[in-house]
Amino acid sequence: MIELQDFSVSFKSGTALRQASLAIRPGDRTGIVGESGSGKTMLAMSLMGMAPAAADLSGKLVLDGRDMTGADDRGWEALRARKVAMIFQEPMTALNPLRRVGDTVMDPLRLHLGLSKAEARARALALFEEVGIPSPVERLRQFPHELSGGQRQRVVIALALACDPELLIADEPTTALDANVALRIIDLLVRLAEERQMALLFISHDLAAVARATRDIVVMYGGDIVERGPTAEVLTTPRHPYTQGLLGARPNPVAEPRGADGKRPRLPTIPGSVPTLQDLPSGCRFSGRCPVELPVCAGTRPGSTLISATRLANCHALKQEVSA
Amino acid sequence: MSAPLLEARAVTRRYRMPRESLFRAPPVLTAVDSASFILERGETLGIVGESGSGKSTLARMVMAFETPDAGQILFDGQDLGQLSAGDLRRQRQRFQMVFQDPFGSLDPRRSVGWSIAEPLRAIGAENRAHRVAEALEQVNLHAADAEKYPHEFSGGQRQRIAIARAIVTRPELIVADEAVSALDVSVQAQILNLLMDLQDELGLAMLFISHDLAVVASICDQILVMQHGKSIEQGRATEVLNAPTQDYTKSLLIAAGA
Repeated sequence: MIELQDFSVSFKSGTALRQASLAIRPGDRTGIVGESGSGKTMLAMSLMGMAPAAADLSGKLVLDGRDMTGADDRGWEALRARKVAMIFQEPMTALNPLRRVGDTVMDPLRLHLGLSKAEARARALALFEEVGIPSPVERLRQFPHELSGGQRQRVVIALALACDPELLIADEPTTALDANVALRIIDLLVRLAEERQMALLFISHDLAAVARATRDIVVMYGGDIVERGPTAEVLTTPRHPYTQGLLGARPNPVAEPRGADGKRPRLPTIPGSVPTLQDLPSGCRFSGRCPVELPVCAGTRPGSTLISATRLANCHALKQEVSA
Repeated sequence: MSAPLLEARAVTRRYRMPRESLFRAPPVLTAVDSASFILERGETLGIVGESGSGKSTLARMVMAFETPDAGQILFDGQDLGQLSAGDLRRQRQRFQMVFQDPFGSLDPRRSVGWSIAEPLRAIGAENRAHRVAEALEQVNLHAADAEKYPHEFSGGQRQRIAIARAIVTRPELIVADEAVSALDVSVQAQILNLLMDLQDELGLAMLFISHDLAVVASICDQILVMQHGKSIEQGRATEVLNAPTQDYTKSLLIAAGA
């Protein structure tokens, strides 16, 4: 239903997303993880037709059988909300502070679906109930500042669901929320995806959140997709050296007592830091920081290596290991 | 036996909320409600809780930015609330703070060296350039970086600069309020390791405030869990993490990926 084929987003200073291929089917729950500069947000914005104007797009972006790579705003306008909708990190900025949240949710219903005011209100009420907002009748009349952070995010989800999208993109939807609230929002997104057979693309740097929200995972680094597969498998047995480094560096909520010398065990780290867009190596983006780097890595981009029927990783060293 | 480095004795902090009616007293929010803890030299105490739990208010009282309405904060046995302004200024070099947003706490128009020297100027210390260079090297940056400006550094490097500013007075206690929360996972691990290195080298005690129980687990000897201004669970990190008694602590563990 939505497919990227060798899709790239380039700027004068470098390539922010390099030849990404990805297919999303109804009901899929896919997580995209990566750190700053990995290209995950660029990927999400591209799927909404909101890549920056200065960007140069190449490859193919197919939505419902239509190639949208060169589509203009007008072409996208017809598809946004009905095919693809998006929710963001900070619910306060997505809502107009001067308008009642009910009116905000009714806007797309009247604009895109052409409902009457009474129909739109009934539909908004049903949406509030669906996303678990208590006393929805009263809530419709409230302003964003009168709601808690979690309630606001539920309103934003109701707004995104208004035109029954086939794909919901959630960009760091729980990052600004407290832990308990975040868990409930994740569970809500999973339930909605299942009940509506809606695809969910869940973008986050929070591995625990992605583990709870998704079935499949895509790991990105420096604008490249480096590893993908079922979430549970990738997170327990990562195969790409970057994924291994990332999971190793993430602390676990397990007590780490001091050693016999009175010192605390150190966390494993990835040496160095993420290069800027113009300094990215031309071959494997992770070369220069990789613990198993081969001479070929810096200059040649690794292809995909099949690890199992459902798992892929792009790594020269892994390819040698698998073919040996 | 000497006093612990830091002790909070039933500290309470209340804020007056805006008046709801002309004829009623304004409502009062108790941000911190009778919290107590002891932090020994060279140890790390993690304070975990969500926004609004009172953990940052507690940190500001420890830093003497705010005065408790009841209870006391004792630093090396002295009640911070009883010190004269001059004595407090002299004591301040012994406890320093690292904030969450290094970009917001560094002046973009001043060189990094100028910002790091700020607490030294406040106490009228001599030999400032030398001590700034020493602090930069302790956080694995270069002495020459003192001439550069904040925008020339990455987020992780800026957090190193913020830590250099905190250790430049050679304190005994560092209060870190969500100091690694805004960082990417791989950078976060590097900064946590740096804090552990500094603790070993300088014998620092740390009050480490975070909403993330996994981060706290990696660096703390003791954990205090706060909810709605109250300390609801407290103990050695091993006990709190292995056998949490409160449902709230258990849910924080789940959120942290346990």
